[in-house]
Order: sequence, then structure tokens, then C-alpha cells
Amino acid sequence: MRKTRLTALFAVLLLSVVAIGCGGGSDSTTGGGSETSAGEGGEPLTVGSDIPYPPFEQGKSGNYTGFDVELMEAIAEKIGRTAEFQDTSFETIFRDVAQGKFEAVISAATITPEREKEVAFSDPYYLSEQAILVKEGSEIGGLDELEGKTVAAQQGTTGLELGKEKANAGELRPYPEGPDAINALKAGTVEAVIIDQPVAQNAVEEEGGVEIAESVPTEESYGIALAKDDTELLKEINKSLAEVIEDGSYKTIYNKWFHKEPPKQFLG
Amino acid sequence: MSQFFTQYFNFDVMGEHFGEVFVGFLQNLLVFAVAAVLALTWGLVLALLRQLPGKKLMPIRFVTIAYIDFFRAVPILIIILMISGGVPFLSFLPQEVRIPHWFGRPDPFWYGVAALVIVYGAFTAEVYRAGIEAVPKGQMEAARSLGMSHFQAMRHVVVPQGVTKIPAPMLNELISLLKDTTLISVIALSESVLVSREVLSERLNSSSLTLTAIFFVIIILPLARVVDKLIARQQLKITRGSHLEVA
Repeated sequence: MRKTRLTALFAVLLLSVVAIGCGGGSDSTTGGGSETSAGEGGEPLTVGSDIPYPPFEQGKSGNYTGFDVELMEAIAEKIGRTAEFQDTSFETIFRDVAQGKFEAVISAATITPEREKEVAFSDPYYLSEQAILVKEGSEIGGLDELEGKTVAAQQGTTGLELGKEKANAGELRPYPEGPDAINALKAGTVEAVIIDQPVAQNAVEEEGGVEIAESVPTEESYGIALAKDDTELLKEINKSLAEVIEDGSYKTIYNKWFHKEPPKQFLG
Repeated sequence: MSQFFTQYFNFDVMGEHFGEVFVGFLQNLLVFAVAAVLALTWGLVLALLRQLPGKKLMPIRFVTIAYIDFFRAVPILIIILMISGGVPFLSFLPQEVRIPHWFGRPDPFWYGVAALVIVYGAFTAEVYRAGIEAVPKGQMEAARSLGMSHFQAMRHVVVPQGVTKIPAPMLNELISLLKDTTLISVIALSESVLVSREVLSERLNSSSLTLTAIFFVIIILPLARVVDKLIARQQLKITRGSHLEVA
């Protein structure tokens, strides 16, 4: 009796292993199928992005939108390929693109010397500012007044770096996603959030109850990240980015998402 | 392949960030210690409520069973997010309960402890129940016939015998509780996984995660051996027929 049970158990285990194996196999074939079906626009350009991060990236799987997403789609179109987005987490995003999990990263990623050691960046496509986001009616007036306060930021971002270097906060909490940090502010568990200016602006407009205490220019800009050895794609992307700026589609996308004119260098 | 090793086994990165990750790990142990004591107590309370006798107390039994079923079914990550995102808005609670900073610990610490106690209370209750129900019915009947109340019989006769049967499964629950303390990283408590992920974003290298894994293995492996020993001892008792002896 005992023996037959064991045999049965073993058989079930074996079956499940086989089933998993098959699942994996058929998965990869469907993946190949979609690649060929997108053949008219060349091979799809796989792009990693940490979604959501409105207004840069937002929306649901298969239907992503946002400034980064539309810009990348425009650039990919110039190259003659279709951008295919993959949601991923920001802290591993540079490692993953360096290892070839996807070909490019557009994710409101600031160009920094440390990151440039691991990946290659395109020409800047956006000039960044950090915002100190506080609750409506808060007495906190800006970056200098964060001393001793509980401050939130997103893990692995320049906002967190700024907090570490300049805020002198009582406690600095790194949340896994930007919206988590903003929710914590609304719940009152943190007193301020340091986050990219447009994201803060979006929170003020869309959700309310919060306001921007100060915008801090950081002399930083965003770039599209690629694996270091992918020089050909880098050239193509830089060329297409210049074209997108030249023909004014950059301006259209910028106006749509930020409701203002882009800085001079991005006007065609 | 070599990339895999530099990514996860870079000893320079491990060495440089050993201190921070270790401090984070101590945070896990602290959460564990507080949550374990509270969950073991809360679980026993739930188990006793579930065993209440008579028709009149049916509603209490029903509510307890519903609680246990519900919190065993809902993923603990959701409970953590709901508590940290919801409790601050419960305006009828005093400020120091909505956003607790007791004993100098930040609010994510207490939200995490609360979530773990709520969920692990339900799991440990089931372990206690197994122990209590393994005590022969005659024990309760004998105690009641001596004039003890239901509570006295539970307190002096049934529970003391029941708990001697469950150290092994209970220890398994505790091991799992210790590992689940890492989930609190989602609400930005600086425990070992959050710290390692920060190192990861700073150094673009995952070795700090390996280091965290090593810390957990070092603590948990001996516990797993203790579980084996306890099971072996229990087995021995049963085969000797001594399981009826009163502790």
C-alpha cells in the first residue's frame, strides 16, 4: 500500500515537471510567433520601464502611455521598428539592460556618472527638476526645512540621493514605487516626498490634497539607457531623437504631458 | 555564467556593505521577536475561543472560525499594504494609534508587526487547535467531573497537555514568520531586503541580496534541525505508548 502511494506521488511529481516543461516550451514559441507577426515594422524594439510613474509612464499592460512611452514610440518609428514595453523594477533596470533582458530603457532615468559605468546613455531627452511635495497647508517651505522631518522618496532615484545629501531629514524612507511614497504623504505617515517635478505636478493636479513646496533644479537630464556594446542602436536612437525634436513631434508630446513649452534645446 | 557570479557573489560588495545589511537584519530579528510573542499569545486566545462549549457561545465560535479562515486565505502582503495605507485614515482612532511611534520605532515597524500578528495569529491558532484536539476527550470529561469549569479544565488539564504535542509545527510557523518579516520592505521599513535592494541600486550588483540570504540561512538552519529533533522525540514517545502521561 505504502509503496503504491509513493509510486503514485512520484508519478504525479514527474507529470507536473513535464507539464511545466511543456508550458515553458510553448511559451517561447508563441513569443517567436509574435516577433514574426510584427515583421512589417522590423523586429520589435524591447524597452524596459518602471511603470507606473505618471506622467512619464502609466497605463496597463499592453496599453502603456505617458511622455516616455510616446517619445520612445516616436523614436522607434523613425528607426523603423515597433517599441515593445516591459514593466520592470527601477533598481534592477540598468543591470537588466546591461545583461540584454531588453534593448533599451526609458524610465525617467537621470544620466549619472555611476550609471554610465554600467550602461550607455543616449543624448538627453528631458531636463529634470526635483520637487518637494508636501500636504496642503504644510508649514514645510522647501528643501532647507526638512531637518528632523520624516521624508519619503523612491528607492534608487536621484530624489533619494538629494534627500541623503541635502535634506538632513530625521528619517528618510525609500519606498519601492513613487506612488507609494505619495500615498504615505497623504496618509500622513511622512511629512514630505522628494520626487521628480512632473510626477509631483501630476499628483497635485490629479489627486489633490498635496502641494509642491519647492522645485529644485538639479542640472540633471534624462537619457535612454542601452547596453554598452550596443553602439549601433545608440547611434540610431540619437539620430531619431534629433529627428523627432526637429520635426516638432517632441514638442507635441511635451505639450500633451506637461502642459507647457519644452526648454529651448528641445525646440526644433 | 561569470556574469552571474559577479552579480551575486561579489565579495567586495558584500564586505563593503556588510555593516548596513547586518543592521537591517537586526531589524528583521526585532520585528520577529515582537511579532512572535504577540502572535503566539493571540493564536492561543483564538484557539480557546474556537473551543468554547455550548449553544450560547456559537456566535463567538463562528466569528473566530471566520477570522481564522479569512486571514489564512489573504496574502500577507495585501494585509501589510492595507494596514499601512488604511489605518492612518481611521479618524476615530487617536493620532498615536493611527501613526504609531511607540518605543522609538517608526510606524512601518508597527504596521508590519500588526499585519504579521493578525495573520500568524490565525495560523498558530490552527496549530494550537491540533494540539488541543489531540488530547483525549476523557481528559476534559474527567476534569469537568471533578468540578472544574470549562476554562479551568482548559487552563490546567487540556492546554498543558496539548502544547507538548506541537513544538515542531509551531517552530515551522515561526521560521516562516521570520522570513515574512522581509515583506515589510514594501512599506519602507529599513530591514535587510530593503537595505540590500538599496545597495543593489547604488552598486548595480545583487551580492547584498546573497548576503541577506546567508544571514537567514545561518539563523534558520539550526532551527530546522531542532524541528527534526522534536519530531523524532515525539515519535519515540508515541511508540513507547507514553503519550498519555500528564505533563
